[in-house]
Amino acid sequence: MSNAPADRSALGSVRNWIANIGRIPRLVIGALLASMFVGAMINVLMPGTRPATVAGIFNVSFVESTLRISVPIVFAGLGGIFAEKSGVINIGLEGLLIISAFTAVAVTHLLGGDAQSAVWIGLFAGVLASTFLALVFAVLVIEFRADQIIAGLAIWLVGLGLGPFLSIVIWGSVNSASISTLNTVTVPGLSQIPVLGPIIFDASPIVILMLVTIVVSWFVLNHTSFGRWIEASGENPSSLDTAGVNVHRVRYVGVVLSGVLSGFGGAGLVVGRAGRFIGSGQTMIAGDGFIAITTYLFGNYNPLGTAAAGILFAGLDALQIRLQQIAFIPAPSELIRLVPYVSVIIVLAFVGYTRIPSEVGEHYESGEE
Amino acid sequence: MAQTTQPPEDDTGGGTDPGPAVKMENITKRFPGVVANDQVTLEVERGSVHTLLGENGAGKSTLMNVLYGLYQQEGGTVYLNGQERNFQTPQDAIDAGIGMIHQHFMLVDTMTVAENVTLGNEPRKWNGLAYDAKSAREAVRELSDRYNFDLDPTAKIEDISVGEKQRVEILKTLYRGADVLIFDEPTAVLTPQEVDELFRIVDELTEQGKTLIFITHKLGEAMEISDDITVLRDGENVGTVDPETATRESLAELMVGREVMLEVEKEDSQPGETALSISDLVVENDNGVRQVNDIDLTVREGEVLGIAGVDGNGQSQLVDSVVGLEVPDEGTVDLYGEDVTDISRREHIERGMSFVPEDRQARGLVMDFDLVENALLGNQYDPDFTSGPRVDWEATRDHAETIIDRYDVRTPGADTASESLSGGNQQKVIVGREILRDPDVIVASHPTRGVDVGSIEFIHDQLVELRDEGKGVLLVSSKLDEVQQLSDRLAVIYEGEIMDIVDPEEVTDRDVGLLMAGEVPDEYGGGNE
Amino acid sequence: MSDRQYPAPVQRFFRFFVGNSVVERILISIAALITAVIVSSLIVLAAGYLSGEAYNPLEIFAVLVNGAFGSPFDLDSARLFTEGWSPVNFSMGTTLKETTLLIFAGLAVAVAFRGDLFNIGVQGQLVLGGLAAALALVWVAPFVPGGLVGSLLLIPFGLLVGAIVGGLYGAIPGALKAYADANEVITTIMLNTIATGTAFFLVSAYFADPTLQSVKTKAIPDVARLNGIIFPQGGQFSLVALVLALLATVGVYYVLRYTSFGYDLRVSGKQAKAALYGGANAERMVVSTMSLSGALGGIAGAMWSMMVIGAWRQGVPSIGFDGITVSVLAGNNPIGVIPASLLFGVLKGGSNAINFQLGVPPELVAVLRGMIILFIAMPEAFRMLGNRLGIKPSQAAVTGGGGDE
Repeated sequence: MSNAPADRSALGSVRNWIANIGRIPRLVIGALLASMFVGAMINVLMPGTRPATVAGIFNVSFVESTLRISVPIVFAGLGGIFAEKSGVINIGLEGLLIISAFTAVAVTHLLGGDAQSAVWIGLFAGVLASTFLALVFAVLVIEFRADQIIAGLAIWLVGLGLGPFLSIVIWGSVNSASISTLNTVTVPGLSQIPVLGPIIFDASPIVILMLVTIVVSWFVLNHTSFGRWIEASGENPSSLDTAGVNVHRVRYVGVVLSGVLSGFGGAGLVVGRAGRFIGSGQTMIAGDGFIAITTYLFGNYNPLGTAAAGILFAGLDALQIRLQQIAFIPAPSELIRLVPYVSVIIVLAFVGYTRIPSEVGEHYESGEE
Repeated sequence: MAQTTQPPEDDTGGGTDPGPAVKMENITKRFPGVVANDQVTLEVERGSVHTLLGENGAGKSTLMNVLYGLYQQEGGTVYLNGQERNFQTPQDAIDAGIGMIHQHFMLVDTMTVAENVTLGNEPRKWNGLAYDAKSAREAVRELSDRYNFDLDPTAKIEDISVGEKQRVEILKTLYRGADVLIFDEPTAVLTPQEVDELFRIVDELTEQGKTLIFITHKLGEAMEISDDITVLRDGENVGTVDPETATRESLAELMVGREVMLEVEKEDSQPGETALSISDLVVENDNGVRQVNDIDLTVREGEVLGIAGVDGNGQSQLVDSVVGLEVPDEGTVDLYGEDVTDISRREHIERGMSFVPEDRQARGLVMDFDLVENALLGNQYDPDFTSGPRVDWEATRDHAETIIDRYDVRTPGADTASESLSGGNQQKVIVGREILRDPDVIVASHPTRGVDVGSIEFIHDQLVELRDEGKGVLLVSSKLDEVQQLSDRLAVIYEGEIMDIVDPEEVTDRDVGLLMAGEVPDEYGGGNE
Repeated sequence: MSDRQYPAPVQRFFRFFVGNSVVERILISIAALITAVIVSSLIVLAAGYLSGEAYNPLEIFAVLVNGAFGSPFDLDSARLFTEGWSPVNFSMGTTLKETTLLIFAGLAVAVAFRGDLFNIGVQGQLVLGGLAAALALVWVAPFVPGGLVGSLLLIPFGLLVGAIVGGLYGAIPGALKAYADANEVITTIMLNTIATGTAFFLVSAYFADPTLQSVKTKAIPDVARLNGIIFPQGGQFSLVALVLALLATVGVYYVLRYTSFGYDLRVSGKQAKAALYGGANAERMVVSTMSLSGALGGIAGAMWSMMVIGAWRQGVPSIGFDGITVSVLAGNNPIGVIPASLLFGVLKGGSNAINFQLGVPPELVAVLRGMIILFIAMPEAFRMLGNRLGIKPSQAAVTGGGGDE
């Protein structure tokens, strides 16, 4: 994709990835930056007024909370890219998030719930649980030719069933007891940089991990052989097969990666921010897994665009929370929350921009034409 | 399974000629009910272009798939450079230096030329961690330059022309070190200019010592490009000829052969008024290429208008436009003087147009459904089988049983799922259903493809009977003997255009063969309308 | 086929539903069910170990099923039957209430599946259908006479409003698919959240009952509710509703089997190309199939409002999603929806019993639901297993639409 730009300069590659993240995220990022700028101007020019109060929402802490809220969405979105690009649509991301969030809390709790080491082990246990469930999904769709949508649905329902059930078993309630969260990592010196410092260098390790994962995912998909195979596996698996690469193996890796990353998303949510598992209703994940699917559709399967979309949706959520705190704005917060969903439909129907890999959902067997 | 054959001459002695690049000896390959290759022997000289010529279904692709490791032969031996080789998988064949350029490109549209060429064998950097895009580009550019392919390694597949895509496919085989390149109908998807370009590349490749095998049914290009031509017919090698000395006539004869004709008894036609008239019809594909190019045809009552032609010359698009499954880009279709170009498929049915589709298992029948339910397909709004929104299953069952009786459908009963019927019986169900609709016009597309001999005769008789009842019949077939025997007038289609309309009684096989290949014969044996 | 001695409609019924693939489908559903129960039992054992309580899976499932019918069997003593058990009891009411709602939701999903469309959006259609029915009844009821006449007018009206609104909301993803090629799986998932959010917003901003703190509409007048006739009032179950659900099942069966529209729908679902060949309008079929599906979902929502809550409030249970489970378990067969709904009705109805009697969380039912779908999703695995065990379907039973390319 972006590995062969005509312009090899640094500026050129920046321009190149901006061109690649998808039209919608580009638009939205632009709008966001513009509104932040306007907000800052209002703040400076008319301090203390009502507009300034509104504009004051957009501060460093807003960005921080947006990033924290975005953890499950972005991780699951990145994971979804790997699965879907390889030709397997994973609508079970929601279930993977639930199971990893629950497992992380449960394991941490069983290890005492307080020690940082217990929290870290909980994190990885959550990742493991999600990975295992994703592996089950992979076996179902790749080995047993299960319908990808129904199997994905099953993964969601399994997560949705197991999380609350086991919560009651352990804590006697669908909501867990509290556990510690991971300590903030502060990089001395760098954290003093204005704006960027507190956001990136004085942050939850999960947020830092997320930012790193975004870049690594982008690198893997765009600059490795494996990235080429993933793409070929989803677009024209027989081209990969005739080139001597095992399509099934590539798809296994793609799906399992979606489990690993969703695991970091779900477990990261609880060990990074929430500190407990909430299992009532649709659980604390509350549709983040489905929003994750929309983020990569928005981001055109590019990790950078996907992350941007995820952060944007999280920002809308953070905004809605803050708007509720401003008395003089009768914000229909419920409607703001719907913006991502409505925009996905508009994008799918009227922009028709996102190109879904052509063989997604199709079982592939070597030798079939 | 493989017959024991003399081991090839020991070629360890330095300097001895290892023999032909490819030698296939007495290859036999059967599929259920068909012998696709019957003791076929083929020798391909190193550095030559060898064409496998034959009609569709003659066994050309099967033979090459055996060579490429996709199929395992039941008998016979394959030699590569004098050594006995039997490839179990395409990967074995690729490793041995054989490359196949498929008719359907195995390319990833969203990736660049360089990425596609190197897929699976990517150059790496950073200790194998990263894909080395630069080396890939350079390697592909270097290969492209060496063979004058004129390809931009950084272009995306979806942005390049069909001819360029084909060159990417060729580059893929060269990148993997192929010495023997198999081209499966390479010109089928190309424009004439692109064909010229391909032939230039073919020369380039042979000059550099590559061995090329061409699969085609177009004799013109076979004559133009080949060093040797082997003609296959009905799974047999009917002769290997030198294009320098062969004539088009002799090749056409070899291809078409003197098949045992199933004689169709029929009287002279008594054509009445015009039933179906097609004027200035144009159908373009998504890329704007004309697949039906300005066709004018009329079918009169009481006559069979045959359309002869090699598959893929626009017949499907023409038929779909006539029966209401596709709206043509230009032109009109009139049924008894009324414009039916834009009306729905359902209205076509209601106005008395029956259609025997070429793909019976996808269109003509619902494979999971039994014959009763299939008897309703297309009749589900006919008052004979419905009352209001309700389907009259009793009437439909009677209808299915009528079809089974009258059209000699061999089935355990009307409750049998159509997928468990043989191809011939499936086709008889469709033909019966379409004829019993009492149409004014019937369009039959390859009505006897994959049908056993007995059923062929039966279907032919039915079509003639319809004609005699004063219906208009539009018959499309790539079987020359079939269209020639059944038609009262014979139109030959080539690349979306009607080459000519001839009298099938008078015209020779050879002349029709030439017209089908896009050649205009010097003179006709018969009356030219 | 020696079913000739049966009357014609019975024969037709058998032909339509008891093909090879249907038998295979039933076997696979049963196998999946058993496997799901086994795996869930293992989870229960593990859970018991975790919580330090000795759960006995056999006991749990026995109590679950028994409890769903109000414990007709006396599991604790030597007596077989519980003394004084009557089929009209609270648990039975709960079970049948769930069954009724699930039949509508299951039919909604099944109709769409039959047309090769995956309507994950039944939940949203149900939410809006239920809200519309509640609001319409609250508005209209004052203008209608009370008593039986009022009920006879208002109840059909409420269901109709639910069907229309649900149908329109189902038509949206249908139209998006037919005319803009937008994948219905994704659009319906989005539309679910949009429906829930919009309903919440509308009720909290405009239609909330001012006397209540919660997000809930004014109560539907008694005359317009589906009240218990035999089953006790307040048991939230009306036998009339169950009868309507069974009638709807027969209706859907009739439409699929006996109408030209149903024929086109089934052919479109099996082989789209054959449907076009036969004169079906592909786009219109997609929209109308989704509308029919949405209408059934809307009725489920109206039933929920009119029978269970007596109003509309936020927090609509996930009947629409359960409908997917029901339909998948039923092999998308309208008649099969009845036993599948009953099964899930039993799971819901019995979940209270395992909670009260054994202290097992009722959420176990959700685990079981997930497991059932998980194993249903892998028919190929059971086919392989069947082949290995030497159980072969008598003919080449090809299901799942394969083999037509």
